[in-house]
Amino acid sequence: MKQRNYLVMLLIISILFVGLLAACNAPASPTTQPPKGEAPAAQPTEKPPAAPKPAEKPFAGTELTLASMTDQYVTAFKYLIPKFEEETGIKVTLDELGYVDLYQKLTADFVAHTGNYDLMTMDIVWSGEYAQNKYTLPLDDLMARDKDQLQMDDIMPVAWTLGEWDGKHWAYPLAGYANVLNYRKDVLSEAGLEPPKTQEQLHEYAKKLTKPDEDFYGIALLGAKGPAVAQDYMVWVQQYGSSILDADGNVAINTPKNVEILKAFGDLFQYAPPGATDYWWDQRETAFRSGKVAMMEGWSIARAGYENPEISSVVGKVAIALAPVAEGVEPKYGFGGWGIGINADSKNAEAAWEFIKWLSSPEIQKEWIRHDGAPIRRSTLEDPDLNQEYPWFPILLEAFDKGDGDYRPRIPQYSIIQDALGTTVNAYLVGEMGAQEALDQAQAQVEETMK
Amino acid sequence: MRPKSNRSLLFVEKHYLLLLAPLLIFVAAIAIYPLFFSFYISFFKYRLTDPNQTRTFLGIAHYILAIHDKTVITAIRNTLVFVAGTVVIELLLGLGLALLFAGEGRWMRALRSWLIIPMALPSLVVGLVWKSLYNVDFGVIPYYFKQFGITMGRGPLGEIKWAMPSVILIDIWQWTPLVMIIFLAGLKSLPHDPYEAARVDGANRWQSFWHITLPLLKPSILIVLLLRTMQGFKVFDIIYATTSGGPGTATTVLNFHIYTVGMVFFKMGYAAALANILLIIVAALAILYIIVLERQQI
Repeated sequence: MKQRNYLVMLLIISILFVGLLAACNAPASPTTQPPKGEAPAAQPTEKPPAAPKPAEKPFAGTELTLASMTDQYVTAFKYLIPKFEEETGIKVTLDELGYVDLYQKLTADFVAHTGNYDLMTMDIVWSGEYAQNKYTLPLDDLMARDKDQLQMDDIMPVAWTLGEWDGKHWAYPLAGYANVLNYRKDVLSEAGLEPPKTQEQLHEYAKKLTKPDEDFYGIALLGAKGPAVAQDYMVWVQQYGSSILDADGNVAINTPKNVEILKAFGDLFQYAPPGATDYWWDQRETAFRSGKVAMMEGWSIARAGYENPEISSVVGKVAIALAPVAEGVEPKYGFGGWGIGINADSKNAEAAWEFIKWLSSPEIQKEWIRHDGAPIRRSTLEDPDLNQEYPWFPILLEAFDKGDGDYRPRIPQYSIIQDALGTTVNAYLVGEMGAQEALDQAQAQVEETMK
Repeated sequence: MRPKSNRSLLFVEKHYLLLLAPLLIFVAAIAIYPLFFSFYISFFKYRLTDPNQTRTFLGIAHYILAIHDKTVITAIRNTLVFVAGTVVIELLLGLGLALLFAGEGRWMRALRSWLIIPMALPSLVVGLVWKSLYNVDFGVIPYYFKQFGITMGRGPLGEIKWAMPSVILIDIWQWTPLVMIIFLAGLKSLPHDPYEAARVDGANRWQSFWHITLPLLKPSILIVLLLRTMQGFKVFDIIYATTSGGPGTATTVLNFHIYTVGMVFFKMGYAAALANILLIIVAALAILYIIVLERQQI
């Protein structure tokens, strides 16, 4: 009897071990996974071109794979890629991925050197990390070689932060976003208000416009634990003229100034919908599009969508203004967006570069904008036709001119800062921690994790 | 006589080994090797994204760090609350449902198969659906509460004291049917004789449940406890889809923290150490369950 019990116990424990492994070893799996992509990546070079190469189509028959974030501009990729294929004979496969999936799939691809993706969209904040680990190809040699075709002077200076790091270009500018203030024209004019010019006014107006009984609120904010609340807090840090890194580039999160800013940021949540401490980007958008709030700061790329009756119930009622900064702070505007990089392990780097050159050319840029892309060139932002279609372009141009692409530190350890702030700022908002305590803990966590 | 039977035994054993070999190799490659690798790597400082892939030997430093890591302590506490909440409620509810639906009528069968649906859904989808149901500004649940004059503040997932119960409720909704099925199977295999004897002796239904059904169901209870405890400790997808461990750290369970360390910071050594701690906790609890329940049986 005893022996039987012992055997049963042993059996159950061994089943338990096996069962647990699936969860426990998930973090280690990328190293143990076989390099799954090797075969497909090698295919294009071995495959003979389908048709004899015409002289003007030197890369005909090459196959590229592009990993793209599922942002608005993916529509533009879908529209433009067939044109590119027709013009050059290069085949481009588009792989659409959500933010977290994209980051993790790319990391797995880079670390295992599988070269699955030739081209990838790269978030501005990944610049330092990608440069440090040499994930993408530095484009400087190619840019120097083809500088006559590129019209680089025309690209907005701030747009280069979409991939530049330590003097080299690890991605080419693809889509520039400015942080702007979206507001409801009808609501503000009814209350006799002009769009706020300063953060102090923003607070005042948000308070004035909040009517909880009518389920209407002053401002929509990002409060959800994780990247959302971390990034929104960093926007406010920038708007109050402070920063996450000190002058020497060291992480300085818990400065007295940043604590004050956190309190101001937290105050604003009184005038946001009650669920705002749980808002991710899409819920914030929903709040604004459904007409629940009067104001919202956000990326400029979403602007065109407010005029689309299929996804917006505030058509014709929205305007944008420059994002307000605190009184006495020199106006600078948060800048973000995406670059496009070439995998350092890609076997088709030249063809991939061909795609980047084609996409960033002034003529194609106009098409890019018209199909939900975002601008990078001055000529695009100043184009008379486009200004007719998108009357808010002058505001964008000014925001780009005074754009600050570094308000979220693009250093290799960015994800650590974002995770620490993402937890502690959210904890402050829901009352789990005090402001000083929250930032102290974020600082300590970053220092500890960076070791 | 003896040599012959020995030889045939040997032959049979060899045969077994041959037939088992594919499975053994599979288990070794998929389960045993990663287990030992994770123990091995937990002694090293190893950042997955490091271009040089350097591994610095640290000894048990990661385990010592874990004991002093505030987030880890919080995560372990949250995990225990989650496991206790889900296992106890699912056990009671599952048993109740099993007794309720033990009949064999046509309706009973139909209802039973309907109840199993939540189990068939991917947890990530379940999490996302519940997240939108819970949303205080656009969701269905707070909307109806508001109709009855109850406001939910920042919403079930947004308030520190409500986030964990809300997440536990999702798990209960999804996994109680599994518990019910296990108990149904247990109930179906019970012998009839003790009940008849009890009836002859004048026991009422409650007495026969308490003194016959429950003791006889002990193997099923053990299975449920083991299964749900293990899965409770492993919970990740529901948390990932609903709260990301928030608000603050209110629903940060250990497995979610391991994910952050491993897949956001890419600190593989520390992540492996934490995973091993999780493994040890679960193994210890499992042994405890078995000892306690087996001892009562004897």
